[in-house]
Amino acid sequence: MGSTPPLPTLLVIPTGIGCAIGGHAGDALPAARLLAGASGCLITHPNVMNGAALYWSDPRIHYVEGSSLDRFAAGTLVLRPVRRQRLGLLFDAGIEPELRQRHLQVADGCRATLGLDIGPVVTTAVPLEVSLSLGASGVSWGQLGQPQALLQAGRQLKAAGATAIAVVTRFPDDPDSTALAAYRQGSGVDALAGAEAVISHLLSRELGLPCAHAPALSPLPLDPELDPRAAGEELGYTFLPCVLVGLSRAPDLLPLPSSDQAPGPTAVTATTLAIDAVGAVIAPAGALGGAAVLACAERGIPVIAVDNPCLLDVSAEALGLQVLKATSYAEAAGLVLALREGIAPEALCRPLSSLR
Amino acid sequence: MSGISLTPVLLQLERAPGELRPQIEAALRRHGQPLRWSITAVQRRLEQPALLQIEAIVCCVEGG
Repeated sequence: MGSTPPLPTLLVIPTGIGCAIGGHAGDALPAARLLAGASGCLITHPNVMNGAALYWSDPRIHYVEGSSLDRFAAGTLVLRPVRRQRLGLLFDAGIEPELRQRHLQVADGCRATLGLDIGPVVTTAVPLEVSLSLGASGVSWGQLGQPQALLQAGRQLKAAGATAIAVVTRFPDDPDSTALAAYRQGSGVDALAGAEAVISHLLSRELGLPCAHAPALSPLPLDPELDPRAAGEELGYTFLPCVLVGLSRAPDLLPLPSSDQAPGPTAVTATTLAIDAVGAVIAPAGALGGAAVLACAERGIPVIAVDNPCLLDVSAEALGLQVLKATSYAEAAGLVLALREGIAPEALCRPLSSLR
Repeated sequence: MSGISLTPVLLQLERAPGELRPQIEAALRRHGQPLRWSITAVQRRLEQPALLQIEAIVCCVEGG
């Protein structure tokens, strides 16, 4: 495999839909590492990579926030890998002083121990008023009462030189809820995930910078029945380390002019990564109805649909999509490797029908 | 001063021929600028186009 060029591959595991793999605290990270090895270049989003206090940094993995991933797949921006980002830290004014101090100490730890470039720090003018909700399908969503205050603080950070933004907002505590108990014991959906995605989508889309979110919450009491997939979130006082590490080498987001605009200064170059170079997209078989997957399918990029049970049943059959089916991420990695090596996937299956 | 608000949207959309994404984004733009969306259910119907359930958050500009 050494001399075979990488096959840039998108891995999408939507957040807040209760995926068996990728529905908890970065528990799709082993699959992402495998797929990075198979493809040589994996583009994926924070829900896949963020394990709260746990993270993995791999130069073959490009950490791209979900709305930017959608725009990348739609061909309206390209990615430019960087050596490092200067991380602005954005705090919700609704975070209590002690909890805020915990987050600042995590950031200091990442500066001292990992060598990350963090600062400036900005706090929103008013509390952001995050609320959580469930959609009609049961997937998690959320709301932000003061979106303008979020954007104002983000603009301040950008003006002060931040090239990526880690945002920390106060999420409502609900330690006695049955949904939280179910999540900690390995079932149900991540109730925080939908609101997190809304916050990072808004910020990244408006500022054009890599952004990712960590919720600020009070510590939970010990749960002896804790599922291993949720354990990453119970190792410390914050969910911030993975966000800082992920963003520290997140690629720059370079917008492309739309087809009806004059060509701008941004161009696809040898150092940027554009959707045209992507050779496969991988998503849960029941969650194929998101913007990135549909955009890839429109372009004829092979879609690998992986058995990864979730709340949704939006399948290839329901949408009329042609896909390569995989029963696991290990099988998906084999398919990616086949595509990378130029092997037709159908040649690996039997029976092999005759040409007519 | 103008500001923005975020609004949840739940749509039932009858699938038309052609690519899905532009149909969905056009339908959502009637409510605001789509921020995050997904097809969350598909109802397949005999001799009729499929009915898609879309859940979304859109941005709306307020004031001015």
